Amino acid sequence: MRSTLISGLAAVSLATTLAACAPGTSESGSGADAPAPSGSVDLSSFKGKKITYLYFTDGPDEAATRSLLKEFESKTGGTVDLQIVPFADLQQSLQARLSGGNAPDVARLADLAPFKDELMDLSGVVGADYADQFLAGPATAMKDGDKIIAVPNDLTMNGPFVNTDLFEKAGVPVPTKWTWDEMVAAAKKVQAANKTEAGIAIDKSGHRLSTILSQFGTTMVGKDLTNTLDEAKATKAIDSLVTLIEDGTIPKDFWIESGSKYKGANEIFLAQQAPIYISGNWQVAQFADAAKFGWKAVPNACAERCGGFPGGKYTVALSQSKEPEMAAALVQFLNSKESQATMDAASMWLPTRNDLIEGKGVTYPDRQADMEVFTADVGETPEDTYDAVASPAFGASATVLVEEFAKAVAGQQDAATTAKNLKAGIDQAIADSK
Amino acid sequence: MSTTTAVAGAPETGRPPTGPPPRATAARSRNRWAPWLFVAPNMLVFLVFTIWPAINGFNISFYDSRNGRTFTPVGTGNYTRILGDDEFWGVVRHTVVFVVAFVVVTMVLATALALLLNAQQRGRGVLRAAYFLPVLLSPVVVGLIWGWALERRVGLVNTITEAIGLGQPGWLIDPTLAMTCTVLVGVWTHLGFYALILLSGLQGIDGNVYEAARLDGSSTWQTIRLITLPLLRPTMLVVLILSTITGFQAFDFIYTLTGGGPTGSTTLIVQYIYEQAFESPIRYGLASAAGVILFVTIFGITLLNYLLGRRQEAV
Repeated sequence: MRSTLISGLAAVSLATTLAACAPGTSESGSGADAPAPSGSVDLSSFKGKKITYLYFTDGPDEAATRSLLKEFESKTGGTVDLQIVPFADLQQSLQARLSGGNAPDVARLADLAPFKDELMDLSGVVGADYADQFLAGPATAMKDGDKIIAVPNDLTMNGPFVNTDLFEKAGVPVPTKWTWDEMVAAAKKVQAANKTEAGIAIDKSGHRLSTILSQFGTTMVGKDLTNTLDEAKATKAIDSLVTLIEDGTIPKDFWIESGSKYKGANEIFLAQQAPIYISGNWQVAQFADAAKFGWKAVPNACAERCGGFPGGKYTVALSQSKEPEMAAALVQFLNSKESQATMDAASMWLPTRNDLIEGKGVTYPDRQADMEVFTADVGETPEDTYDAVASPAFGASATVLVEEFAKAVAGQQDAATTAKNLKAGIDQAIADSK
Repeated sequence: MSTTTAVAGAPETGRPPTGPPPRATAARSRNRWAPWLFVAPNMLVFLVFTIWPAINGFNISFYDSRNGRTFTPVGTGNYTRILGDDEFWGVVRHTVVFVVAFVVVTMVLATALALLLNAQQRGRGVLRAAYFLPVLLSPVVVGLIWGWALERRVGLVNTITEAIGLGQPGWLIDPTLAMTCTVLVGVWTHLGFYALILLSGLQGIDGNVYEAARLDGSSTWQTIRLITLPLLRPTMLVVLILSTITGFQAFDFIYTLTGGGPTGSTTLIVQYIYEQAFESPIRYGLASAAGVILFVTIFGITLLNYLLGRRQEAV
């Protein structure tokens, strides 16, 4: 009994002592990182040096990336170790490596917010006015004060696809421009004529729902972490969607099952069970291979506003890099006009550089017309959507949007309550991001 | 057998040895350390991968961290926030419903199954293996398989229900049905394991007791009620404790079966912890505080089960 008591006390004292130690570092500093590079870079000085590039692939871009890295290696005489991880593991993997002091030199990221303090200032290498080379929207997230912390590598644009075979059978013309009401009317007519399971399929994603919110005139977050949700406009958007779900135009089960996890509706479209599919340009490469029917990308429907909702990926260099100049040089190389044009053509990506949007743009090997539809919608997309998607609070707000919307679909709350709860959820997301 | 050989190396003087000889002391000393050396590798792994992360998790629960590298002390702020969060209490409600239903159904079915397997003379091994098979499946695979089977429109179950005129119930769409399915899939997965433990308990009961009962004219039901179940109680206590812990820790198969839906109705506490820690916005401190609350709850309930079980045994 006595020895048990002593063991117990020893364990408690050990736990208390260990618990008294602060984990990690304080908010004030995160260790001694290499200084940010500055001045002109001599590529030949990287001969024999090695850096790592943490990457996730959407598919066709991997071969193009490897080819560009080979070009960089032959120019510099250095080596780039491409480390590919699944997108789902990217954030955890990078967090763990940063914590262990084993960060990659360069990384491809979709969400900058969790890593903002760990990103290298590239302005010394790329120049203070480097951001001017990029579209104003995607460039929003490039800068943190005077620092250039990321470079937009590809732009995504949400938008609809239509099954032209089903439209043709129903005698409904494929639109070149349409309003929200016209899209709904066309969807119902084609659905009825072809007896498809749904008229419109839309990915279960807060990002995709944000497209509809934007078309009805509102976003969730704005610059300087402000809550920009207009409850009346959000109520109207949510009510329209819920009505479509209740009358069977949008599949109900899809939105309720599987919790709030992301789920693509591409299988419904590929099975020809929905004539309209609201997703984004990254589906073009997949549909070019997998769709066994006629399809095309069409412009986003206009309600109060036109255009889609942007997204994208960024190339960054990490402050922990032991070769900061080479890392910065790789980021700059991957985002040069020539490199982006190669990547975009091979991967069906939209460019982020002004010089690739203006004039001739990118020449795609296939589905040029569809990619041009998305490129045209970039110009139609409101500026505030770029502020929204660049906000550190966007990810959490998007999760709240899906959760609250699912409750409305399940009949647990009306559209007005959903919008009110969403507003409160965005407030919390903003508070958590500060 | 000679008693003088009981102590190795003792001189045969006709008198008992006054103290252990040097070689015996060395051997005893070696023997004292041997068990520690055998368990050391496992204990080391346990310390590094269980005890240390647990202590660290307790520590982190008093900080705010969004990246796992920078930490801001918040005192008991994470605990205050969790305990004042409606979502957390909703998750607690779902967890309690799941654990109670899972434990009760598991205990009843596992005991019944063990009794049937024990009574079965032929093919007992094959049946035991058949019921144990789901235990060997990955929980993620279990969730996916049942997810497909219970899908409303084209799932296996609804293909049958529709063929016999029962329509297409929304097994994973309706909150009550989804929780029921989650409990039953959990029971299906673990039933074989618990039945096997109970079966070993049944086989440990002395056959003479049954023989005496039979001679006294005891019916089958009386034998089960008055002999089997009381003598099986220690094993049932083990199953009760293990199934309660499993119930509180349920996550992986639910995550692939329902994702915690519909509308959060099958989100249990481990999924809540996972989402706080690994989904945007990342809140390691909050997740750690929820983990500590879960640990204390499981520890308290297990201790209570154990003490009540011991007291009943004593009675």
